[in-house]
Amino acid sequence: MSGTETRPDRGQSRERGHGPGVGRDLGVGHSAPRPDGTLKVTGEFAYSSDLYLADMVWGATLRGPHPSARIRSVDVGPALAMPGVLAALTCEDVPGELFYGLDRRDQPVLAADRVRYQGEPVAIVAADHPERARRAAAAIVVDYEVTEAVTDPRRAAFDPSCPAVHDGGNVVRHQPVRVGGDFTAPVVVTGEYEVGMQDQAFLGPESGLAVPAEDGGVDLFVATQWLHVDRDQIAPCLGLPPELVRLTLAGVGGAFGAREDLSMQVHACMLALRTGRPVKMVYGRQESFFGHVHRHPARMRYEHGADLDGRLRYVRAEILLDGGAYCSSTPAVVGNAASLGVGPYEVPNVWIDAYGVYTNNPPCGAMRGFGAVQACFAYESQMDRLAEACGLSPVEVRVRNAVSQGSRLATGQVIDSPAPLAGMLRELAAMPLPPEPSRTAGPVAVPPPAGPARAAAATSVPDPAGVRAPGAAATPDLLDLPGGVAQTTHGEGVRRGVGYGVGIKNICFSEGFDDHSTARVRVELLGGEPHVLVRTAAAEVGQGLVTVQEQIARTELGVERVTVAQADTTVGSAGSTSASRQSYVTGGAVRAACRAVRERLAVLRANGETLAETLERAGAVEETRVYRHRPTFPMDPVTGQGDSHAQLALCVHRAVVDVDVELGLVKVVELAAVQDVGRVLNPLALEGQIHGGSAQGLGLALMEEVQVVDGRVLNPSFTDYLIPTILDMPPMRVSVLANPDPHAPYGLRGAGEPPTLSSTPAVAAAVRAATGLRLPRVPIRPHDIAMDGSRYGNWAGDRSL
Amino acid sequence: MRPFTYERPADVRSAVAAAAGRPDAAYLGGGTNLVDLMRLGVATPRTLVDVTRISSRAIEETGGGLLIGAGVRNGDLAADPLVRRAQPLLARAVLEGASGQIRNMATVAGNLLQRTRCPYFQDVTKPCNKRLPGSGCPARTGDHRNLAILGHSEHCVATHPSDMAVALAALDALVHVEGPGGARTVPMPGLHRLPGDEPDRDTVLAPGELITAVEVPHLPFAARSRYRKVRDRASFAFAVVSVAAALDVAGGVVRDCRIALGGVAHAPWRAEAAEAALRGAAATPEEFARAADAELARSSPLPRNAFKAPLLRNVLVRTLTDLAEPAGFAESEPVETP
Repeated sequence: MSGTETRPDRGQSRERGHGPGVGRDLGVGHSAPRPDGTLKVTGEFAYSSDLYLADMVWGATLRGPHPSARIRSVDVGPALAMPGVLAALTCEDVPGELFYGLDRRDQPVLAADRVRYQGEPVAIVAADHPERARRAAAAIVVDYEVTEAVTDPRRAAFDPSCPAVHDGGNVVRHQPVRVGGDFTAPVVVTGEYEVGMQDQAFLGPESGLAVPAEDGGVDLFVATQWLHVDRDQIAPCLGLPPELVRLTLAGVGGAFGAREDLSMQVHACMLALRTGRPVKMVYGRQESFFGHVHRHPARMRYEHGADLDGRLRYVRAEILLDGGAYCSSTPAVVGNAASLGVGPYEVPNVWIDAYGVYTNNPPCGAMRGFGAVQACFAYESQMDRLAEACGLSPVEVRVRNAVSQGSRLATGQVIDSPAPLAGMLRELAAMPLPPEPSRTAGPVAVPPPAGPARAAAATSVPDPAGVRAPGAAATPDLLDLPGGVAQTTHGEGVRRGVGYGVGIKNICFSEGFDDHSTARVRVELLGGEPHVLVRTAAAEVGQGLVTVQEQIARTELGVERVTVAQADTTVGSAGSTSASRQSYVTGGAVRAACRAVRERLAVLRANGETLAETLERAGAVEETRVYRHRPTFPMDPVTGQGDSHAQLALCVHRAVVDVDVELGLVKVVELAAVQDVGRVLNPLALEGQIHGGSAQGLGLALMEEVQVVDGRVLNPSFTDYLIPTILDMPPMRVSVLANPDPHAPYGLRGAGEPPTLSSTPAVAAAVRAATGLRLPRVPIRPHDIAMDGSRYGNWAGDRSL
Repeated sequence: MRPFTYERPADVRSAVAAAAGRPDAAYLGGGTNLVDLMRLGVATPRTLVDVTRISSRAIEETGGGLLIGAGVRNGDLAADPLVRRAQPLLARAVLEGASGQIRNMATVAGNLLQRTRCPYFQDVTKPCNKRLPGSGCPARTGDHRNLAILGHSEHCVATHPSDMAVALAALDALVHVEGPGGARTVPMPGLHRLPGDEPDRDTVLAPGELITAVEVPHLPFAARSRYRKVRDRASFAFAVVSVAAALDVAGGVVRDCRIALGGVAHAPWRAEAAEAALRGAAATPEEFARAADAELARSSPLPRNAFKAPLLRNVLVRTLTDLAEPAGFAESEPVETP
């Protein structure tokens, strides 16, 4: 196993590349510092919400309050009558196409005859002050006729009497996968699972600045994930040719999929073209929750059949994904859930039906993990149940079924690069466990309530440690116990659990998409020194691509001074910053352009000449290259068969949790991960990706959920939508494998998403192990645990398993 | 945000005069709750009377206890040596709430007057009897997971979000108020109302009344006290349930006790039934459970917050058991959460 490096997160010093100084290696494989790092840490980085022009005005959006309603009329008169208001526009003012969308153009720029989700944009306003713009938007009078909202995805999918959210029915995509025909086995486990609606929770709200141009076009500075696909949706809506809509990436404060779809882009451009003034739009936090798509909530039914020794014979699954009011990227999310629906296991017989449906719930689309996350929670929960049924350990049942290079996915696609899952699991299981929970006293038994009590009510909580672990401090660190600084326990009621999770994620766009990127690389003399300028349209959203581009240029050209230009549409498309693909595809394009430059220089260079001398004599050298990964193919619509993915990536997690079973509080004590990344481009940045992805998966496991009742969001704020704090995130033990993928540049494998998949089921499994509860839904919150503890009476209300 | 006028009177008397007879005036303290609600359109005052420069920021020892100025920042309150020594329960409860940044802005009076986090109250597109009397209470049939199990009415099931107020309710604090009709004191509990058929009224304060100070009487046995809070993440989260308790035990018998509960009612909930059951009872987990059950006998959980009853029982029994331990667990200093 090549390139293994184990980095305990705390305690030992880590290799973090070379310190600053002359002659340091800042090329591929080293922890080159981020060019934007210091600015961001010191608060000086200019995000899209910081954009400013002296003569700009402010845009605001009026959003419909109803999940489903007809619009009888819209009167912008009261807004226009207000001082400082320059424009108030409705769907009638859209200059071009009325609809946009990533996959289907089904989303109105501004609602026309009806609204389909709470928060849908109905009108937009420009005014000379943001507060005036907001008040003017609120003054617009809309006459709604509320209609029945479709909020149950199962009904939307399968009930013929259910109203259609769009003409043509509510099923956006149904993707079956069919392999073999023998659905019998001596051991069968079934389960129904749910994943709540997770939000990307980026910190920088949707924002941008549209500047009208003298040529009749518009320049848009915006935080997004894919400049060209934005442009190709914006330009038709504005009735402009694409070349008159020029986009420049503004500072992006996180994305995680939430910036794949348009938000304020067309609106700001419409207002700029109408008023002739630069128009800035910035969503507030509450508006942001309505301004972008979320992760599809999922309801899943699984049945696993296996031999007595735990080897899988079949998997049957129904995966139902609620896409909400508009299509967004639902079809591709369904494709991932279907093609990866059994996980990285060898299964001879497969019967999967994955559905994405329209409802009047908030629109759902891309989020880190993209369809693979939901399925992973279900199939990993099933693998634990299978282990239990067969008397195997969670690790052993996974090892026995693990894919490896040469295995076939359920789609028939052969894994043709290293996939050492069994070894990864063994390495993970062999990692030392953290010390047992510290405690200062024996368990305190809370007496059962008077009156009818459950049979098990008198069961006392077993002492999880028996005795204090060797070396454990006499006074436990409060932060190490469930409840943390609230000191809700000193160890009483606390049980430890360990759980494992395995995930497989496709890297790059799949199913036949022409997935490519473009890079222009220029080498020239600046101040007598060779200097490289790299220009792409690839969005740096915080992941570190700008650093990787610099590193590749340094390595390929041997020039230390590299600048990555601000991404814009003056160069060809880079594709989306999605699907963990930019290091692969834009990295591949930068490498190709660098190599083309290098070949030109080799021809130009005279004997004995230095690079500076060649550039001095021959002038700057510039090359542009387009890079494509190998083609992928659609899934067969009936059987799901096809080589639909360009690359596959594996990550495995072990979670150790302490659960206060009386209070329902979970402390994740440690997360350990093993991930195969093919090739480490930047160790420090990679570590950040693995920590961040794991934290986002932990959040889904324990707290993150956009709560939607009857199509309405109940918690659109960071006060009420909880994401993990530093106190909730444990130290990590990370082991990185680097088994090169021969098809990819440098052998690399996309790294950003896989940790998000496997940490969720690992944490859930650990909580199950600690509590003995089934916990079929994430996030798992205190009431899921404390309600079902065996030490209570009949307080449990109407909750049923 | 609705337009408003802003006034900064020179003293308390002028502040009260400025607000007198104007039901749409609001006093502005740290603004950590009011300004958010104004942005959401939930609070729509026509006049803001800024009292930050005239509210006392002093913490003084009086003959019978501590007098805490209404303008004392929550962070200063929790860090004050007098408070930490004489009323550790109060310091701990304050530190369990909010974030360091918010505690540095929020005032004692503003903390008491926080509005509920009920999702229907926070969203102006939804009915809510507290925000818009008579419009209805969708929480009763909708999402009430975080809402009340004690003392609610058919009109409102909101909970009061403050941690500090729970400690003050346990400690028999007195709220000093200045109003158009003069000065008066309001006992805690008693400042906050139960919703009844007027859920729009959070407190018994009359329009224009301004909190000037909070007096916390000396209670020797409260030196041994606990604030225990269950929340959905390790920090920066409101209580699912919380318990403030002090226990006076002699010879294995409870001589006296103070218990207040948070996250379960429209007001910080003084657990009088539990206290009555405990006085004179043996300081044993069995008796603590009996006391908890006595309090919970008054509860009427809704379908989706029924879990709060066993949760509260467990945290209450555990807190009292902890307090009754002869040696006790070493209670660490109140910790500032990062």
